[in-house]
Parts: sequence; structure tokens; C-alpha cells
Amino acid sequence: MDLVRLERAVIGYRTPLLPPIDLAMRSGTTLGVLGPNGAGKTALLKSMLGLLPLLGGSLVFPTGRPPRVGYVPQRDRLDQSWPLSVLDVVLMGRTSLLGPVRRFDANDRRRACEALEEIGVGELAERPLYALSGGQHQRVLIARAVAAEPELLVLDEPTSAMDPAAERVLLDLVERLKRAHNLSVVLVTHQLTAVAGFATEVALVDRARGLFEVGPAREMMTAERLGRLYGREVRVIEVGGDMAVVIGPPVKGEEERPRRARTGSTEEAG
Amino acid sequence: MSAFADFWAGRELWREPLLAGVLAAALLSYLGVFVVLRRMVFVSAALSEISGVGVAAAFYVGAVAGIDPHTHGAIPILLEPVWFSLVFACAAAALFSFRPGHRKLAPETIVGLGYIVASALVLAILNSPRIAQEAHAVGDILFGNAVIVPRAQIYALAGAGAAAILAHALFFKELLFVSYDPETAVVQGVSVVRYELLLNLIIAIVISVATRAVGALPVFAFTVVPAAAALMLTENIRATMPLSIAFGVVAAAVGYYVSWVAQLPTGATMVVVASVFLLPGLARLAKRSTV
Repeated sequence: MDLVRLERAVIGYRTPLLPPIDLAMRSGTTLGVLGPNGAGKTALLKSMLGLLPLLGGSLVFPTGRPPRVGYVPQRDRLDQSWPLSVLDVVLMGRTSLLGPVRRFDANDRRRACEALEEIGVGELAERPLYALSGGQHQRVLIARAVAAEPELLVLDEPTSAMDPAAERVLLDLVERLKRAHNLSVVLVTHQLTAVAGFATEVALVDRARGLFEVGPAREMMTAERLGRLYGREVRVIEVGGDMAVVIGPPVKGEEERPRRARTGSTEEAG
Repeated sequence: MSAFADFWAGRELWREPLLAGVLAAALLSYLGVFVVLRRMVFVSAALSEISGVGVAAAFYVGAVAGIDPHTHGAIPILLEPVWFSLVFACAAAALFSFRPGHRKLAPETIVGLGYIVASALVLAILNSPRIAQEAHAVGDILFGNAVIVPRAQIYALAGAGAAAILAHALFFKELLFVSYDPETAVVQGVSVVRYELLLNLIIAIVISVATRAVGALPVFAFTVVPAAAALMLTENIRATMPLSIAFGVVAAAVGYYVSWVAQLPTGATMVVVASVFLLPGLARLAKRSTV
């Protein structure tokens, strides 16, 4: 069953970023949205979530309502100077479940603590936000998303600024959560290694080339397609059953080509 | 007679202004925690000025229509400076809530433009020949004097406070969420525009009413100083808010007393006393930065 579907959707802030696109987010899948910086990934994500009005086409919720979303924003967009505890932040995830007027009760606190335990940072519940490391902060944001009891978990550049080992740990955690809660996952990233071996479906996005392709990960993560996306020579190799992507020098003729938008505004195109 | 005995003997004179100052300080110090954390301190100055444009406009329209707007009871309700002030402040708060802007014109710039234009308009209207004779009365209504406060303004402050307390009692978790992380709030179905509008309207109403009661400078100061002082000393928002209110209330009360006994300007003295509460936090910061 599809949770969200974009049909002939024209996305953009004032002018189209990409040609009209069709994209279905199926239940139980992991969609990796891949593209260079400024490719239009965040605009695509916002359009899927109904946050950015479409310039054309339609956004369809086949279940008759938008899915419950657990959202993990880019960590550096949040202010760590707020005098909040970890539990305060995780409880925010339950705000829409409660609705207005009602206050968080013991059940909400228990669910928030369970989410923290599940993410492996249960001992941090009372710790102030400013005292967390970057990795701990990222986990707290994932716990908040889990506390929202989502059907769709959306992670926006969750592994940026992480070393490869930390990235792997985080992706394993998301995979475990996906199985435990029967989640669908959208992972927006510019890091190829985060998608390879993790996503079941991949969307390649680049507004500079007017490129949008989506399909099963095995079909999309090919040297030819990724080379076209990045304008570089790409090798895709298998190492012990895992997929590894090696980026080479620019494809002939690409060095001189400026990376600029063909259409659309540059703001928040990420 | 001691200074305190002299002060106490004059309680019939200071009871209402002091009550107004304490009420305004408590409300603004509470709202100030949101204002400071959301990095929108200049909004309070802009709203205060913009509500002032409303008062000046009421006088100007009254003068054009041949009606004196500060003659209470003898003027159409639509020309009441209070309503003009509230309407202007609320309209500006609504505008700020929709985050107007452009990639070259940040929301802060819009707020700054609002402040500049409002300040110029107030000056222009007050110096208009049509209301030049009433400029002093208009100035008192515009910026208050914290010395003489009509009982109606106490009731207005109490009403604005009740509205603020009710809104925060009902929607605190939503106001906190949209203030801290609007992007995630909107993804999870919490209406950021609605709750930012609610918060900004409450701030606008309290600022509009408080400016008339205690003056523009103390209003701006109570919106920023107690919250900043409390934030430097606390790490939990449930401790920050009561501490901010306590700083504001004590600064208003002590500031009023000091201004009375030392014959100093009331509003400015309140601000100076409030600023003293910044010292422990600054000392703490200095200690940390030298470790």
C-alpha cells in the first residue's frame, strides 16, 4: 500500500525545480533520496510531506489521510542553548498525538523514556540539551521521532558530519527501528555510502541537470546512473555482500560546466 | 521620618502605579523567556512603537474629525486610543507571525523596518500642528509615566495577564514546540502559524497595555532583562520562568521604592535595578570562560 504519492508533481518554491515527477512511498520500504548539495532533495521531501505547495500535479494520500510522520531534522538547525532536558525534547514528539489543551501525563513520559531506552540513551533523560555530544543529540532527535509513534520515519541528512563508523551505527539503529515498528523510512542524504545497502528504493535528484529518477536500489545505484548524477566517473563494487561506491574524476567536459540551476530559486533547494 | 516611613505614608499615591509596575513586570518577564529564546527581542520594541502609532493616529483622526480622543466617554469607541493601539499592535504581531521576508530581507530586518517607520510616524504625528497642543497628553498615553496609573489600566493589565495565563495553560506544549523546532512541529501536524500568531498576539496585547501603564523603556527592559538574567542561571525551563518572573517583580517593586525615596525617574530606576540581576549570570559566565 502507498502511504504518499506524488502524481505529475511540479515541485519548487516559485518556479519548478524539476520536471513533473511521479513518486510513491510504499509501506515498509526505505526510500533513499540522493543528490548533490543544492539538488532539490529538501524541496522534494517538503513536497512529499505537504509542507511545500505543489506548483502543479497532485499529492495523494491513498489511506485517506496523511501518514503520521516522525521527523529527524538536520541537527545543526536546532538551538542547543534552550534550557530543555532530553525528556522535554522527546516529549515534543507526542504533541500531535495528544492534541491541544491536554497536558503530557505519566503515559507520555513512560513512552518517551521507552523511546530513549530503545535508542540506547535512556540514561540521558534528565540531562540538559547543551550537555549532549553531537551523536547523542542525533539519537535524542530519533527518539523524539519514535515517540511520535510514526508510520513514516523521515531523516534529513542524519549522517552528515559523522565518521563512517558512527554513520554505520546510526543506520543499523534506523534499520532495527524500521523492523521493530514496521516503519517506512525516507532518508535524504548526499552521502552515497548512507544509501548503498540501506535503501530498498532510491530517488536520484539533481535540479541542475533537470534529473529525477526513482526505482529499486539495485537498479538505481549503478555506475552509469550515479555518474550521470554527479558528472563524475563512478565505480560501484561489492565488498563482502555490501555495496561500495567510489567516485572518480569528473567526466570529460564536466569540469567546465558550472553547477547552477537551470530553473528555480536557489533558496532551500538542498 | 525615615525614608521607608515616608514612602509608607504616601501609599495612597503609589499603590496603583506600583501594582501596575509589578503586574506588567511579571507578565513581561514570563513572556520574555519566549522572546529571548526565540531571538526576537527587537520585536517587543517594535510592537511598543507600533502600538504608539495607534495612539497617535487616534488623536490625529480625532483632531481631523473635531473630537478630542482623550476625553473619555465623549468620543466614539472607534476613536479610543486604547483600541487603536491594540489594533495596530495586533496587526503588526500578525504580520511578524507570517514571517514575511526575502532571502535578502530577513525577518529581523522587517521588524527593524517596522520599528523605524513606527518611530518616525509617532514623531511626525505628534509634531503635527493639528495635535501640537495635546502632545504632552499624547506622550503620557503613548509611553506612560509609571507614576500616575488610572485604575482602568490596572484592569486592562489584569485582563491581558489573564488571557496570557489562559493561553499558556492550555497551549504551553504547542507554544514550546513551535518556538523550539518549528520545522518538526509543522511536519508532525502542529500548526506553526496558528501558535506563533497566538504567542505574538499575546505579546502584542501585553506590550500595548503595559506600555501605556509603565512606559516604553521599562516594557522593553522587562521583556529582555529578567529573562536573560534567569537564562544565564538556569538549565531547566521550569526553573527559568519563575526565576524570570521573580527578577521582574522584585526589580519593579524595588525600582519603584528607590525612585520614590531618591526622587529618580521611575521607569529608568526599575530598569537599572533589573540590570543588577544580570550580574550573577555574567559572573558565572566569566568564571566558566576562565576555567
